[in-house]
Formats: sequence, structure tokens, C-alpha cells
Amino acid sequence: MKISLTWIKEFTDIKDTEEELIAKIGAQLGAVEEVTHLGKRYADVIVAKVVACEKHPNADKLSVCKIDDGGKIKSVKRDKDGRVQVVCGAPNVRVGLTVAWLPPAAIVPATYDKEQFRIEAREIRGEMSNGMLASGRELDFNDDHEGILALDKRAEPGESFAEVYKLNDTIIDIENKMFTHRPDCFGILGVAREIAGIEQIKFTSPEWYLKELDAFKVDGSPLKLEVKNELPELVPRFMMVPMSNVHVSKSPLMIQSFLQRIGIKAINNVVDITNFVMALTGQPLHAFDYDKVAAQDKTDTATVIVRHPKKGEKISLLNGKTIEPDTRSIMIASRSRLLAVAGVMGGNDTEVDFDTKNIILECANFDMYATRRASMSNGLFTESVTRFNKGQSPLQNDNILAYTIAWVKKLTGGAVASSAHDIKHLKGWAKSSGFAVNKPVTTNPIFINERLGLSLTKSEITKLLENVEFIVEGKGEELEITAPFWRTDIEIAEDVVEEVGRLYGYDHLPLELPKRDLTPTAKNSLLEFKAKLRNILSAAGSNEVLTYSFVHGKLLEKVGQNPEIAYQLSNAISPDLQYYRLSLLPSLLEKIHPNIKEGNAQFALFEINKTHDKTNTHEDNLPIEEERIAWVVATDPKISKGLGSAYYQAKYYVQHLLSSIGIDPTFESIKYQPQTDTGKQALAPFELKRSAYVKVDGKLLGIVGEIRQEVSKNLKLPPYVAGFELDVQMLEEYKQPKVYQPLSRFPSTEQDISLKVELKVTYREVVDIVESVLSAASQEHGYHTEVSPVDVYKAKGAEAKHITLRIRLTHYERTLTTEEVNKLLSEIAKVAKQTLKASRL
Amino acid sequence: MAYQNKKVAEVAAKLKKRLNDLDNKAGILKAHELKALYDELPALKPEQRAAFGKELNNLKSELQALANEEAEVSNKVEALDITAPYDSNTPEDKHPKLFSVDQGSKHPLMTELATVLDIFARMGFTTVESRQIDDDYHMFETLNFPEGHPARDDYDTFTTTDSLIAPAHTSTMQNRVLRTYAADLAKGKPIAVVIPGRVFRNEDLDARHEHTFYQLEGIYVDKGIHAGHLIATLKTFLSEYYQKEVEVKTQPFYFPFTEPSFEFALSCPFCDKAGCKICGEGWIELLGCGMIHPNVLKMADIDPKVYTGFAWGGGIDRLVMMKHDIEDIRHFESGRLSFLRQFS
Repeated sequence: MKISLTWIKEFTDIKDTEEELIAKIGAQLGAVEEVTHLGKRYADVIVAKVVACEKHPNADKLSVCKIDDGGKIKSVKRDKDGRVQVVCGAPNVRVGLTVAWLPPAAIVPATYDKEQFRIEAREIRGEMSNGMLASGRELDFNDDHEGILALDKRAEPGESFAEVYKLNDTIIDIENKMFTHRPDCFGILGVAREIAGIEQIKFTSPEWYLKELDAFKVDGSPLKLEVKNELPELVPRFMMVPMSNVHVSKSPLMIQSFLQRIGIKAINNVVDITNFVMALTGQPLHAFDYDKVAAQDKTDTATVIVRHPKKGEKISLLNGKTIEPDTRSIMIASRSRLLAVAGVMGGNDTEVDFDTKNIILECANFDMYATRRASMSNGLFTESVTRFNKGQSPLQNDNILAYTIAWVKKLTGGAVASSAHDIKHLKGWAKSSGFAVNKPVTTNPIFINERLGLSLTKSEITKLLENVEFIVEGKGEELEITAPFWRTDIEIAEDVVEEVGRLYGYDHLPLELPKRDLTPTAKNSLLEFKAKLRNILSAAGSNEVLTYSFVHGKLLEKVGQNPEIAYQLSNAISPDLQYYRLSLLPSLLEKIHPNIKEGNAQFALFEINKTHDKTNTHEDNLPIEEERIAWVVATDPKISKGLGSAYYQAKYYVQHLLSSIGIDPTFESIKYQPQTDTGKQALAPFELKRSAYVKVDGKLLGIVGEIRQEVSKNLKLPPYVAGFELDVQMLEEYKQPKVYQPLSRFPSTEQDISLKVELKVTYREVVDIVESVLSAASQEHGYHTEVSPVDVYKAKGAEAKHITLRIRLTHYERTLTTEEVNKLLSEIAKVAKQTLKASRL
Repeated sequence: MAYQNKKVAEVAAKLKKRLNDLDNKAGILKAHELKALYDELPALKPEQRAAFGKELNNLKSELQALANEEAEVSNKVEALDITAPYDSNTPEDKHPKLFSVDQGSKHPLMTELATVLDIFARMGFTTVESRQIDDDYHMFETLNFPEGHPARDDYDTFTTTDSLIAPAHTSTMQNRVLRTYAADLAKGKPIAVVIPGRVFRNEDLDARHEHTFYQLEGIYVDKGIHAGHLIATLKTFLSEYYQKEVEVKTQPFYFPFTEPSFEFALSCPFCDKAGCKICGEGWIELLGCGMIHPNVLKMADIDPKVYTGFAWGGGIDRLVMMKHDIEDIRHFESGRLSFLRQFS
């Protein structure tokens, strides 16, 4: 939202310096995005008069002119009469014009913010040209480049061009977002009122905006207009008036200039007036060509109907596009055709142009949601939409229309051609009060001060609010506050608190911390637990990654997961981000190939994050968020030789991680699918014959294993890859504090035992036998025992393998004898032989 | 498996037979007969749809299982003794072991989040993590965004085909947190909670913009809480975080869920307001905040006449980028070791 400070100053004084004011606007009104000191770019532009003009001797389209600059510029070459010669290519240059002259060394204003172009004195086809006579576009003054700008105000040669058109102005661009609930601040008048408020100055709106109106006087040759509103719910107010005998031409340059500096293009006087009034008040208006509307219905009466479009109905718009509007849009139509998308954009076949004789002015109020929807669904974004979708007040249309009519009369000579239509369907307070949109708010200084930490008196609060034209009535301790009609946002006492705080200045609030007692706050044990897992794995040389929650449908398919149970985005930016992931592991697997390519030979990645699927939901239909931890290891093929199966490396990390949190897991072969769909998805990437369920107390914690060959191929994985995915909530549930083992005063004894078993006997079975014997012996004799692997050996072609285990025995009360240790090992060998047909080596 | 529905049963028989002739067994899942059955779903009456859908899904799972089984048999993978510590004959120096600690790293976003949460914990705030999928009710309704409100446009939200929402801010948790702790208020205890979480915006990626990033929300509710408390709390946090006294300033802003609302800026801690490449002209706009709108309190059954509170939300990624002078936000989710290993 660009505002002109010069324009603002027509409505309020400003006490502060410009710099102070801009700081205050930032602190009390909205973020200032940009400040442009317009005057700087016009510093060199001088008013001059063309006193002679002859055809260029060497060029058909050029003229050689003599100008009078009142002797203003010292360093320029002059003839004996003191005139300056300038060559000009414009078709409209002639003697007597007052023009804008860019003398040598001046910067062309339109290039000021870009690559600056500096004028010099130079010969053009043999004739000296001292600077140039500028067009509106070169001056960045309007959009006209057909010829040079001919000044339409009385100005003396040598005067500053900027002075003549009030261009020593400052344009302040304030972020729109602040004004989402402030339709009044989309007009100069509203911003001026706010600035007065933060300057602690009493603001008074102009009389034309506030006064009670009589019916508009019909003073022109009559035109018949019928108006019908078929959408009373969506159009609370619809005003229209026809005006006859308008003379459409260019606007006065002063108006064009003010529109240009706040970013609106000048078109013609009628359109410019509607835009000018909109820029001033925030209320968008539209002008139709009366005769074009009437001609559509082939009658002498123009008929305007407010309705929804029918399916298939089309309209070609002022921006040159033809659209088939969404059937919920509000449309302005004649009996036979659509005329405009209400509040958004007009149609091009009823546009006001330079041949227009009669017009219809529309000043309406449209439902903000419907306008927004029409704008979004039809892809139309205009100054008008920006204002309507903030919810303009329906109580200002008559005054604004009257003001617009006065301008049209003044600039075009037109006159009111029939009485105005004013179809009102106001609701609630607006209907009964006629002055305020919302019911008065009753509050008191205590309520306000409590929320601001201030101690403002009743009269201080009253003054702050009255400065911006609120009506404040004291009723005992209470204040009854009526927001004026343009303030649609003041509905509850907290809105008044905002208003008072802002006008007072939030940077003056007392800063103090809230007070509370010493009760410790509740801790989040899951969060602490996740931090612990993160520490364990990173300390074990793994790298934590974060990957997107969204994955490509192809990734799900590549790893054998079912996209149909994954939540799918309906507005994904790209197919890469289409589905919520079903497990974490595939995202990690995707990161392996690029890292190997970048030269990383061996690494382990892990992530702690959430997974979701449609089969696993709460009662309220939201998915249960599974907390997972996934880890992968990968090794470049160049160095993975001899490392054995990657599975064991992953298993080793699972054991390390779980033993760090006091869990002693078991690893079970995968002979059945998990019971839940959620579990099935987690299992999908794993190679079942080379993977295991990780369990504790018979409860499934997750899966560890190698990746299916097909998946490896799809994701360009090296052969040495394995990983695990575990349920963090389960881990937290089963975690145990580590148990301290007292130290014995007596030495421990270590002995290895090698057992030869058939190939089909698993390592676990052997260990189980060993441990069962040790456990029985411990109970009887009070040993403390530990078993660890030493070697697994299989001779080439053999049908058996050797498993060697190290047994560590400790006693707390005595030194162990060799004899009892040997006896124990013999007992193990005996039981192993009975149960596993194992032989001791 | 026996199928009740005749059509499903027919297709099941047909496809199981075809499976034998397929080289790529997984291709059976793409059979046009199966797709045709799925296409019938939307046209069915709701009471029929559930049963039919269930049968279809069963069929699909069965085919998937068959295809997997077949695939496995065909690729002749050697089974492992998954209970063993390593393969037979693995020399001792090749036994599995942990990688060296100096090769490991924690993600800088998680590290920074922990730092921030630690400060808030010391200040008396409890932590509640936010969700990664939520609904319209929590994203907008409980936060005083009416249906169709233009303020909804400011959040480029991702939605799912089930009309759920990928949260565009951590404020989606406000209602839940207020409800969870509302009972504390009556006991004279404030609600003091910070909410970290992953949030999503439908934005194109570039060096400055991510569609996925981390935010931290804060909520404080008690009797007599005012805007001065809000500003002081954030100022205290920032001074502790940067280990130096920072200046702060607010600019009025608009959020439907706070009234008044502010944009909050701090004096640049890197150049002490002199102006540098991080801050530009001495100030860093860091977060949005405000006094919790009474409608938001009411939605959680907290009486706004008795209790008031403040809330704020800001990005974590930005803090980390400024701290380490990281040039491209996309590194965070890139999984690149060359980036990650710089943060141990």
C-alpha cells in the first residue's frame, strides 16, 4: 500500500520530522517496506516555454526549438536573445507550449531507480541540442509517450517542475498484511487519520465524507436505468447513478501524477476519478458506458442485474482475457449479457472510452468472501479486489458516490441523469444504527490497563480514541465506545485494547517478566529420550540427517510399499513430494548413492522422525504419529570386501543402541508378516532371509536387516548396505536403568570353549545352552557369568561349524579353582551334546 | 482366501493364474482388471463401498504377498544365521565395530533446538512437540480464521486428498495445549509451554526458501498477563540466547489469532546494530507474536475475562543459518555428509 505524504498532509498536520514519522509508522501502523523521496528525481527538471520551433534542416521528423527557461540554467549555451536551442522529435511540439525541460547533465527521471541516464548537450544531425523536452513517460509522471508533456498549469519559465505538480513528495510503502482487517487503511483518508492518531493530533474527516445527504439532484438530460439485485445476501448495498453528456478526455495532469506515484495508471478522466476516489477512501467504484449497456438489450433503457453467472456464460474483461466465471461469483449483467465480475474487474465491451457520452457510476458493497473467491477462482487480482476482500463498510457508499459525482461534473461537464438507485440489504447493527457497523463496546480503564500493563486514565484513553473519531461516552466507571462507520474491525473490548495500545505506542509499554512460583515445569520424557538416542548414535560415529516428510510415489513403489495407504498431497509442488512417508528407512536409503558419489567411502546415517499412514488413525480421523528411529550403513564396494554381511554391522549397532538404554533384545527370523499394515510397510524394503525382528519380552521393537536386491538396484545402492528401523515409543516403554554390578575382591577367570555343531544350528541356540548351564550353576554356587563370542569357523566344504565362546566367571567370596571351572565347561559340553549333538573341540 | 463379492472373486482367480506366467511378478499389481475394480468404488453406495473396498484391499495384499514370495524364491538369496555376531570365518579385525566418534554428527537444527528449549526450560516452559499432519479445525478454526477468510491465503498450506493439512505453523497446537493445561490455571499455575515442530509451506525451493522447516511456538496464559510481559519474555530469551543484552522493537501486525499482533525484531547481535550482511540495517525481524485472541481462549474453554496470555512463533532454521552463516537453507534436508560432518 503506497501512500503519498503530500496527499496525507492535505488532511492532517504532522508534528514530527519525516524520519521520526516513518519510524512511528513502522512502530504503530505497519512495517514500512520502502520510502521513496520523489523530489530527488525531479531536482533537475525545469519549466520552459517553447518560443520558436522550426523543422530540422536535415531530418523530417525533428524540430529545432528555442526555449525560454527564464535564464535559470547558467552553464548552457544561449543565443543572443538568451534562448536555448533544443532538438525535439515529438509531433506535438509547437510554439507557446509550456514544457518540462531536462537541461544538460540532468538525469532522466524514469531511469532514476535503474541504470541512470544523464542527458548531455550534443549535436543531432548537425544541430545542437541542449538537453531534451521530456514526455510523461520519460518523466515517470504518467504513461504518455506519444509526445512531450505539455503542462496544463500556469507556470513561469525557470520554475521547478516538481513545485508545479507537488512532486517534492515522499512515497511510503506500508506492508499490506497489517491492514488485513483494516479496509479503511486502503485509502489515503484512513491512513491520514491513523497518522494523526499516532501523532496525538485530533483528526476531523472532511465534511463530504461525514455529512447527512439529501437525494441527488437530477440536473441532466434524462436516461432510463433499471437496477435489480438478485443476491441480497452477498450484496448488502448496491448504488448506481447514470450521468449524461460527459466529455471524456485525459485527466488534469495533477490527478494523473498523484495516481502514478501510488502505482495506478491514468486512463481517462472518468476512470481516473473512480480510481482517485478509491485511492482516497478505500471504496472501489466502477464506471460503465451507459449506451453500450443499453445497446446490449436493444432498448432505450439500460438494465443492470446483480446475479450469479449461468454455467457456460462467458465475459471478456478489461485485461483482454475471456473467462467463464465460477458460478458462485457475483456478476453485474444487463438483461442479455455479463457486464462485470463484481468488485473484481469490468468487461471490455462496456468500457468507458474517449467516445463515451453517457455513463453509469457504480458504488457498491460486496461480500468479502464472495469477492475473494471470485478473484481466486478466476485468477484475477486487482486494486479493487485488494480492497473489497478486506470487507469495506456499507455505510459510506452514498457520501462517496456524491463526492464522485461532484468530480465527474467538474471534470467532464456531465450531469446526473436520473435519481440514484440505492438497494440496501444491511444487517445487524449497521441496519439499525446507520452510523456504526458494529455495536458499541463497553469496557473500562482497568480492563484496558491490565492487558497493556499501563495506568492510563479515563480521559487519556478517551482522548486517544477521539483523535481517530471514535465516540466515547463515560458511564460511571465504564466507557461506551462507538467505532465510526469505516471501522469494521472493532467488535470486542480486546479490539479497543489494541487500538489504545497502538495509538499510545507499544514501545512505551513497561517491560516486566511474568511472575510465577517455583514449581518445576513438567518434563517431556519422550523428547529427552530422543535426545539420548541422538547422542548414542552420533557418539558411535553415525550422522544424523533430516529428510523430507514427503516422498515420491515412485520411492514407495521402489521399496515395495503401498501408496494407497499413504496420505497424498493434493497440491504438491512436484511429484517428489507427493506422499507422506510410510517409514523412514527409504528416505535414508535415497541419501546413500549421492553421498558415495561425493566420495564418502563408509558411513552410517540416522534419523528420528514421524511416519503416518491411513490404517493407523485416532478416533478423530487424524493419523497416529509413529515416532521412529532409522539407521543405515553403507560402504563403497571398493573397500567392502572381506567385511562379511552388512546385516551384522547393523545388528551390532542395534545391540549397542539398545544396551545403552538397558534393553537386551532378541533377534528372530522373519517367518511371518507383521500383523498391522503399518508394520508391513516398515518391513517392505528388507530382505526377509537376511533380516530379523528385534524383540524384547516378546514385543516387536522393529526390524534390522539387509535390503532387497530389487530395492538396491532401484536406489543404486552398493552391495554393502543394511539398516534398522525401530519404534521409539516402544523403546521408551521398555528402556531400563542400567544395573550396577558390584566389583569383586577376587579375580575373575576366563575360559574359552569351542563347540562343533551342524550348520543348521544357530549361534543363539548354542549360546542359550551355555547360558542355561551357567545360570543353573550360578544359582547353586553364586557365580557371576558373562559369555562373549570369540570365533565362528567353517572349513571349506564342511557340513559343520565351530563356535568358540569366551566364558568369564567371577565369585564375590572366593577365588575360583581351575577344577570347578573345568567341571563347569564339561557340564556345558555334556548338555550341548545331548541337545544339539555338539562335540567339544 | 475366499472373496464374498463375485466380481472380486473372479478377478482374484484370473490374476492368480496369470501370476505364474509373469517374469516381473510385482507387475500383477498393475493389472487393468484390478484397476477397473478400484474405479468402480466411487460410484457405489456408501454402505456397499466399505465392504467392496475391504475386499479389494485384501485381494491386493494377497497378490502383493504372492508376488513377494515368488520374487524371493526366484532371486535365491542366501539365508543368514541372524542370531550370529558375524559371518563364519570373519577375521577378528573385520568383526563389526562402532565407527569412530569423530566421524559422527548431530543435525545442527536439532542441536540448536535443544539449546533453545533448554533456555525456555530454565525459564519455566514445558515442551510439547507439534504434529506433522493436522486438520482444518486446528490449523484455522480454533485460531479464529473463519472459513474463506483472506488471512488463510497468507499460509500456503499443503492439503491432503483426505482434506487434512500439513501444518503451516506450530500454532496448530495451541488449542490442544490450552486444553491440556487449562486445569492448571484454576490451581493458580500459569500455562507456560513451548512447541517445537516441523512445518510446511507450499513454496518453491531456493537458497532462502524451504517448503519444510522448523518453528518454535510459545504460549503463556495466566491472570493479569499483558503485552509488556510478552515483549520482556522474548527479550529475556534472546539476551540469554545471544549471551548479550539485545534491544527489541515491535511493529503492529495482523494475525487472526492474536490481538494485538506484532512483528518482533531484535538489534543485530552480530554487529551490534551497525549493519552487516546478516541484518542489513541493524535489525533482524525474527518472529510474529501477540496477545492470544479471546476467541482462541474461548475455543479452549478458558474465560478470557479472567485469563489473558501471549503467544509467539518463529523459525529455527533462520537462527541456525545466522549463527553459522549458512548460505543455503536447502543444505538442512540434503543429507549431505560434507554439510552434516561440520556440526559434531
